Amino acid sequence: MSILPEAALKYVGVESDVEIACDPVERGQVRRHAQAIGDEDPMYWQACESNQRYGGPVAQPFFPIHMFRRAYGTEDPVEANASDPDYDGALKVRGGLPEIEPLSHMPVMNGGSEIEFFRLARHGETVKLRARYASITEKETSKGPIILIVSETDYMTGDGELLARQRHTRIRRPVKK
Amino acid sequence: MIDATKQLYFEDVEVGMDVPSLTKGPMTTAHIMRWSATMENWHKIHYDTPFAVNHDKLPGVLLNGSFKQQWLAQLLKDWVGLNGWVWKLNYQFRAMNLVGEKLTIWGKVTAKRETPDYGLVDLDIGIVNDQGKESTPGKATVAVPLRNGRPVPYPFVPPKG
Repeated sequence: MSILPEAALKYVGVESDVEIACDPVERGQVRRHAQAIGDEDPMYWQACESNQRYGGPVAQPFFPIHMFRRAYGTEDPVEANASDPDYDGALKVRGGLPEIEPLSHMPVMNGGSEIEFFRLARHGETVKLRARYASITEKETSKGPIILIVSETDYMTGDGELLARQRHTRIRRPVKK
Repeated sequence: MIDATKQLYFEDVEVGMDVPSLTKGPMTTAHIMRWSATMENWHKIHYDTPFAVNHDKLPGVLLNGSFKQQWLAQLLKDWVGLNGWVWKLNYQFRAMNLVGEKLTIWGKVTAKRETPDYGLVDLDIGIVNDQGKESTPGKATVAVPLRNGRPVPYPFVPPKG
């Protein structure tokens, strides 16, 4: 029996508006990112030989993808769900795309990505994106059925220069009893 | 980090050669929490063991996929050097990685081809734990300069066709 509701398929092809990250590329955030991943490369911190060709200090290649956070003054999902024992804290909505309501009760995991990089974001630059749901399919695995949700996203500078193009897979799976 | 005194050139690359590997860990809950806080990712499977185990039926708190993908980029960024470029990554999170694991991020050259402006190198990539289990198999393509050529163009311009 399929675990993929027909109603979920209506989301395929849905596109987001252009969304602008709530903060520009912040030096302190680049530092925290570098320290968390264990790569304190000088190119991410200050002008040096390593970032001359990029025009100065830059953020990590994946940094723009993680810039789309909860904007100041918007609803706080942690607070809103504080009394819900099933709230998992996961970011349900990415890149301006709507939550796929028929699947929202299923735990979500990161399935992987195909990504192309074209340019690094410099400190102080604004980043924006545009995304769409490319496919929603069911797959049988050795651990049972899962649903694969693939979205395609272009990450750009505020001036529209392409930084990265990502095809991201999220996995939804029924909770084991 | 990139070693500014070394530059990889297309002519140096041979099919079958290994990229110098990167090691991380043993991973702790502090590593995972630091990454999750940096990302403002409050998904409980990364820091709330009772929730991960009892609610989501996982073996423990998990290393974030978003964490692991950073290391694939780091591995190749350091290898291609100042004048190279990490163009494409394609990877799947096929297996979970847990607290206590020591990870090796690896790459192996599978093909190379020359374009008029630079060389392209295809690789198999992945992350194995200290039990030898692969969690993040994938492929990558990087661009490296020709020995007598210019740096790879930046912003990167993919080859035509």
